[in-house]
Order: sequence, then structure tokens, then C-alpha cells
Amino acid sequence: MARSAHKPDDAWIERLLKGERSVLARSITWIENQTADGATVLGAIQKNVGSAVVVGFTGPPGAGKSTLVSAYVRELRSRDKTVGVVAVDPSSPFSGGAILGDRIRMGEHTNDSGVFVRSVASRGHLGGLSLTAARIVDVMDASGFDVIVVETVGAGQSEYEVAEVADTKVVISTPGYGDDIQAVKAGILEIADIMVVNKADMPQADQTVSQLNSMLHMGPAKEWATPVIKTTATTGEGVGELADAVDEHGAAVHDAHKAGPVARTRRLIASMASDRIRKRIAQSSDDALNQICESVARGELDFDTAVDQAIKLGGDME
Amino acid sequence: MDDRSSPPKVLMTKIGLDGHDRGSRIVATYLRDAGMEVVYTGPWQEIDSVVTLAIEEDVDVIGISSLATDHLVVPRLMKALVKAGLDTMPVVVGGIIPDGEEAVLYDAGVAKVFHPGADRDQIVNDIGSLANSGHSILAPSQ
Amino acid sequence: MAKHESESTSGKRAIWEQEFEKQTGGGDESRFNRSGIEIKPLYTPDDWSTEQYDNSLGYPGQMPMTRGIYPSMHRGRSWTQTQLVGLSTPEQYNKRLREMIDAGVSAISIASCNSFLRGHDADEVPPELLGTCGTIINNVENLDAAFKDVPFENMTLSAGDPTPFTQLAFMIALAKRRGADPSQLRGTSNQSDYISHYVANHMFFRLSLPGSRRMLLDHIAYTNEHMPFWNPVSVVGQHIQQAGATPAETMGMTISSALQYAEDCIERGLDPDSFLPRFTFFFDVSISLFEEIAKFRAGRRLWARLVQKRFGAKDPRSLRFKFHAQTSGADLTRQQPMNNIARVAIQAIAGVMGGLQSLHTDGYDEALSSPTQDAARIAVSTQNILREEAGLADVIDPLGGSYYMETLTDQMEELILDVIHRIDDAGGMYAAVESGMVQRMIGDSAFAHQQKIDNGEQTIVGVNAYQSPENEDDRVSLARPDRELIDAHVARLRTYKTNRDQSAVRRALDDLARAGNDTDINIFKAVIDAAEAGITHGEICACLRQEMGDGRPLVAA
Repeated sequence: MARSAHKPDDAWIERLLKGERSVLARSITWIENQTADGATVLGAIQKNVGSAVVVGFTGPPGAGKSTLVSAYVRELRSRDKTVGVVAVDPSSPFSGGAILGDRIRMGEHTNDSGVFVRSVASRGHLGGLSLTAARIVDVMDASGFDVIVVETVGAGQSEYEVAEVADTKVVISTPGYGDDIQAVKAGILEIADIMVVNKADMPQADQTVSQLNSMLHMGPAKEWATPVIKTTATTGEGVGELADAVDEHGAAVHDAHKAGPVARTRRLIASMASDRIRKRIAQSSDDALNQICESVARGELDFDTAVDQAIKLGGDME
Repeated sequence: MDDRSSPPKVLMTKIGLDGHDRGSRIVATYLRDAGMEVVYTGPWQEIDSVVTLAIEEDVDVIGISSLATDHLVVPRLMKALVKAGLDTMPVVVGGIIPDGEEAVLYDAGVAKVFHPGADRDQIVNDIGSLANSGHSILAPSQ
Repeated sequence: MAKHESESTSGKRAIWEQEFEKQTGGGDESRFNRSGIEIKPLYTPDDWSTEQYDNSLGYPGQMPMTRGIYPSMHRGRSWTQTQLVGLSTPEQYNKRLREMIDAGVSAISIASCNSFLRGHDADEVPPELLGTCGTIINNVENLDAAFKDVPFENMTLSAGDPTPFTQLAFMIALAKRRGADPSQLRGTSNQSDYISHYVANHMFFRLSLPGSRRMLLDHIAYTNEHMPFWNPVSVVGQHIQQAGATPAETMGMTISSALQYAEDCIERGLDPDSFLPRFTFFFDVSISLFEEIAKFRAGRRLWARLVQKRFGAKDPRSLRFKFHAQTSGADLTRQQPMNNIARVAIQAIAGVMGGLQSLHTDGYDEALSSPTQDAARIAVSTQNILREEAGLADVIDPLGGSYYMETLTDQMEELILDVIHRIDDAGGMYAAVESGMVQRMIGDSAFAHQQKIDNGEQTIVGVNAYQSPENEDDRVSLARPDRELIDAHVARLRTYKTNRDQSAVRRALDDLARAGNDTDINIFKAVIDAAEAGITHGEICACLRQEMGDGRPLVAA
């Protein structure tokens, strides 16, 4: 589709930085489509990026994520914060199309000029999506929002990568019928800065909370002790506590210099680098690499040394 | 640079009082299966909300699903779009629109009206073509 | 050879099979009904035999209830002709209502304007949307005009307005004004099933789910005590089927909703035999003739068995699956609209043979707007013709004992029970709807049905086959309300609002708001009080949305 009706000239950038919605919306489209205009915009706004707090929400389908995000936005608004929301939904692997339905649950914010919501499809490039999402976050940041919420459906590792865009990651689960601690598969507990048990009015809620607490606090104490918070998104209960926890975590990572666009970018590069190296090592037919693997298989080389050698090789391999 | 490789983005929504959404769900699925990205809302959207949605999501086409007499509110939407600088945004209306009242919609600037029983391929092709026509997001005066 | 066959019979069967193959050239393809059951060309005692009569059929009015809930059914008393009537202003409605009563309609059911259904007063919505789908009734005065010279207090009533039941509240207030005893009102709170509005249709969807739950329970408690002839519960299968669920799924989901409501009542402390007799159902009847009849027979049989088993119901009235049916508008077409007269007749036959208690037949122009006078008259005539000329009321459960019908009934029962169990496993209907499971099932069936139409597997006459070029004759005249009358009505409403004693209005609204927040107060009683104090429908709804929670969408994309 032709979108050459507008150009990212100085006047455009100025209006973007002032927070003009139409200008922001079209800029996001350029960025999402990875066009030259998008690159121009990104280049022009880099120095204005860095003041927004970025919060990621992820969790399995059915956990009430959209409803919770909507309630969280409401809480933020009552605290006089302006909010940008990036809502990510998966694209169909067959057709490449997508139904973006998160707005159904966010109706109360549509006419609030202090909230801007953008639905984004994963477009089958989840690794790449992280990059696009991060850039969309940057442009929303530059246009002046206090808080930016990134919401994705967490069904697999890739979706958690999108959450890496955030300074504070909130993982949502629900008390299930039976063992629905699906959310608590390996990996989630690692990434959660805050764990939420939604639908807290359900009978198993307290049980789920204590199970999560014991799993989270096994092992040595970490810098940040991930809290487990109960919420009922439909009534708003627990959402104030959630907002407080986000603030607390935000302060902690800010002090530790783990927040902001530079830190975001580092995490992204780490994630994309690991992806790239993994693919290379797994798919390469390089002789030197084969020898390393055979040595380990014969018991002649230990894994730690093998990995170090493979990483070095990884830089040079095809 | 034109980005014709990116999927068309369509807003599927309902204004007015009716709440039946069987038709709009089916069309949303058709469009998704044809490779389009569909921002799907619930029924009873205010006119102002539709304008905001169209801008924020920077959609290529607005699709209104109308049963009962909700189509009679479409001219208001068309006016609101013009006022907001979206006068070139293509709008299609599908659902139960009596033959005698189709003209009201076309006169108001609606690009296409679909009746019950409309062919799936035709719906998809028409919306796809409209999505490619491109539109500006700011009024010339803005 | 089946045990009830003689050697010569089995020989005849083999011959038939051969000749069938020959005559169809081996080209007979499998056919399936909407619920997915395969339909064979012939059914015989191999499929169902009269040995099963006592277990599967029995007698009307007795377990297993298959043949009907009353001993005499339509033979003793015809089904009620309950036409949904609605037309713009109360005065216009009154004229049409009296015409319908003259034509043979025996019960009152107001088709309300969409603005009303959504909880608004006429002065709160764009005027072009007013009065096009039904009548605008905003206060007791409007209802009085609607029922001018109509002794409504002596007729069977259907108050279409669940949460918060203002239409019934207006009826109660009006009855008092006319010197009649409201406790004697007979009728049903039509579509009081709030769950169905969260699942599909959504028209009556106003309060939050917990708010709706309390509203219904208080309503049941109030009518149990004060209105012995009133049915407060009308569980709706129509929306679910119109949204695309198969007939078997629809019956399963509807029964599951009813079971949920029954459980809620028991939790409230009500005795099953006190509320079950007042449970009614409201279904769509599609044009899949035999499937619909089987759906109703299976549902009726299942309901009786389930309430006995799950709730220990003892009163025979608790076992009765009372239902109203409406011919399905989803089967009617815009193309060649006169065909719809035939369709409606067939749907009506299905409903009557299925054992309904009350029937609404659609006008042939249903796909376009609320019916013109002609269409409305033909719809009522259809019912009269079926009864008087076709003799449809002469025999109870006329298809009972048919090898096909009994096999199909058993098969439908199996599918329906399957759906009920799935919903049980999900924690009951309330939980299954909250999680979106039910909505997804419905959406899948809707899409599957559409695909069959799209690829021509399902023929719709005039639409994907037997088409004709559209011509002037096809253009049905529309019943559009007179804008001047609508504008006058809105003006009168505005005057009404400003002319009231504002401090009394304020007090009444405060009382209502307080009741909304105090679960010890019966909220339906509070609504009646507000209606009697002159508060309008829109004001009542706005107040309760505020206090009891606004409805939020539960549908998933």
C-alpha cells in the first residue's frame, strides 16, 4: 500500500515529539514495516528516547491478560501517568494474516487522550518482532508517554523474548483446574520480575500463590525477590499492589542501570546473538566443529571447554 | 518507499445498537485467511472511538458490520472521519442494508456495500484493492 | 439377520439394498444434518423397534417425557400464538397489537426498540436508530399508551427485558394504576438468561456478570413469593443457535445454563421444587425439520432426567421442559423473500411437532426489518392454517414411533449430553463462558456452516442456487417509523423528565443506588419501587450499571 502521502521531515519529527497521535501512528507503521521512512524517524528521535518506563505483560491464553492490562492502565491513569500500549498477537502461520483482538478488552481507554494503544501482529518473525517492538517502544517513548506496556501471549520461548523489551516483566498465570501451572515451566520463573496470579476469586488461588512463592524462592537469594501478587482483573482488586510493585522494581533496576534504551538494546542484541550462534552451531558442517563434537562424544573433551571453543569458532564459521 | 509486502490492515467494527456479531466474525476470519491483519472490536463503538481506532491503528480500510438499522448512523461516521482528516479512508459496510437505503451510504462516501450472501472472494478482493489505494492520515490543512 | 426379522423380511431387505444401489448408480453420497449426524436413506426396526417404547417414549406427561410435557398437549389446548409485536411509538404499537389480537394472537410479547434493549432512553441515542426494530417504552406512561383498551392483566404476558426487568416493573406499576392485582399477572420474564447474552447476541448485555447473577436470583426470589403465576426464568437457546451453534450444541449449552441457574438457586437456599416449575426455555427453530423435532424431544427427555438426578426434584411440574419457540430468522433470505413464507411454515411445523408450548412465526421480510402489516398477518395466518387446515394439533407427538425419529432422537440426546459433560468438566456454564470455551465452540460451528454454504455443499435457494436476477418484485416495502412521531415521542419524554418532582426523583434514584450496593435488599423490588416513582428505563439501567458493575465483553476474538 502506498504510504508516501507523508514524509518524516523536521516538521513531522517536531509534531511526533510533541505527541501528536496521527503522526505517531503513521510513524509506527513505517517502523513496523521496516521502511526507509521508519529508519529516518528512528534516527531523528534517538536522543529523545529513555524517559519512559517499559513494562511487559505475558502469560498463557485464558489468563485474563488483556483485562489485567486494561485494569493496570486504568490504575496508571488514576496516578496521572500517560500510557502507550503495544499489544502483540500471533500471525497465522498459514496465511500470514492475523486477528488482533486485544482492543476488545481495552474499550474503556479508547477515548482517553492519555492512552495510545497499538495492535501488532507477530508476522512470523518473532525474533525480528522483538526488534520491531523495541523500536515501536522507542518511538512511543520519544513521543512522551510515561509508561509503555508491551503485551504478548506467552506460549513459548519466543514470546518471552518480546517481553525482554521491557524493563519490568510481569508474568500472569491463573489458578487452574488441576495442574495449570503451565506458566511455571522452566524459563518463566527466570524471566518474571513480578508474578501475578489472576482470577484470585477462584478457590485454588491461595494454593497457587504459595506454590509459586516456594518455587521462586528456592535456591540462593537474588538481587530482586520476585513477588507473587493476587489480582482479580475484572474488579480491579490487587491492581494497585501490582502498580506499586512495578514502581519498586523500576526503581531497583534504574539504580542498577538495567533500565532504559541502552539496556534494552543490550538485552536484544544478547538474545539475537544467542539465536544466531545457536543456529550456526546447530546447522554447520564445519570440520573443526565436527571434531569438537566427536571429542566430547568420545569422552576426550569436557563440555565447558567444548562450548568455549565452539563459540570462538562460531564467529568464523559459515 | 512502498511497502507492498506488508499485510493490509483492516478495522472490523460495529456502531449503533445491534450486538449480533456472527457475520463480522466470519468476515474477520475470511480476511485473516487471506493474509490481512484485522483489528477486531466488540459492538456498540461510539463514532469518536472508531475515528480514534482508525488513527491509532493506522488501518487501511474500515469495515462496518451493520444489522438492524445501524447503517443509518454511518453518515455520521463519514462526517467524523472527514473532520479528523481521514476523508480518503476507505469505508465498507456489510450486513442488512435495505436496497432502498444503499444510496444513502454511497452518497455519504462509503466505498462498497455488501449484502447477506455476498461472495467471500469478492469481499476479500474488494477490501484488498481498497487497502492498496493508500490514504493520508492528516487533513491537508493540518 | 436381526432377531425381529423373519427370513423373508431379511430377504426383502437385501433386495431393497441391491435395488437402491442400482437405482442410485452407486452414487449415493453421505449426508449429514447440522449437528453432524449421518442421515441414512431408510430407517427400519433394525434401528429402533417398539420394544423400546416404554423406556424411550412412554406417555405424554409422564417420564421419560419424550412425547410431551402434558397429557393432552395441543389436542387439549392449542399452543399459544405469541407473536413478537413491536412498532416505533407506543401509540403505533397499540394499533398493531389490537390488529394482531383480532387476527388470533393470544399472548402479548413486546418487541422492544434496540435502544431499550441496550438500556437507554429514547433521548439518549441517535434518533435515526429509534423505533426501527421495535417499540420504545421508557416509562409507565408509555406502557399505558401501548396497552390502551387492551386488558393486558388478563392475558399471558412476555416481558422482554432481563436485568433489570424494568418492563415487568412497568407492567406491575400499570396494573396497580388500573386497579388490578399485580400478583395475578401471568407470564414470563422472557430471555432472563443473562449468560446467553454474554455468549451471543449480546443485546441484553448490560450489567457485569456478578451483577446479573444477583439480579436474576433476587428476581426469582421476589416472584416466587409475590407472583405465583409468573415464570421468572427463560433460558435462551435462540441466541446460541443464531450465533452458529449446531442444534445439538445449542440444546446442550442451554440445558447447561439452566442447570447453572438451578444450582445458583439452591445455593441461595431455595428448594428445587419451588423454582424448577417456573423455569422455561426459549428456542430458535431452524428449517432442519426432523433434526429440530428430535432436538426438542431429546432435550425434553434429558431435562426431566437431569433435574430428577441432580436436584432430587419430586414435584411433577419440576420435570416439565416448557418452551417457547421462534422460527429462525437466520434461515431467511433477502433474495427472493417470498420463499421465506414457505420456510417459516416448515420451521413452525418442526416446532409444533417438537412439542412447544408457544410459537412466534417470523414475517417473510424478517431479514430486512420489523414486519410490515401484510407480513405480520401472513405469519399469524400460517399458524392458524397449520392448526385448522393441516390438523397439526390433532395428534400428540405424531412422529413418535417413527424409526427415523426415534433413532435421531437417541443420537441427538447422545450429542447433547456430550456437550453438557464438556461444560460440566469446565466447571459449569458460568465458568465455561468466562473462559471463552463456549464462545469458541460456537464460533467454530458458525464458520464450519458458512464454509458449507460458501463451497456450495449446503444449498440456500435463491442465494447460492436457483438464483434469479433481482427485480422490483423482490424489493419489499420497509416498515420505517414515521420520524415525526418519533421526534414527538422524544420531546414528550424530555418534557416528562423535566416536569417531575426532581427531589422525589433524586430520592428514588438514591434508594435504587443504595439497594444496588446492599445485597440484603431485593434489587428487583427496588426496581419496581423506582418504576412506580416515575423513574425511566434508561435511568434505572444507568444507575444499576454504576452500582452493580457495567457489562464487559467476555467474547474472545
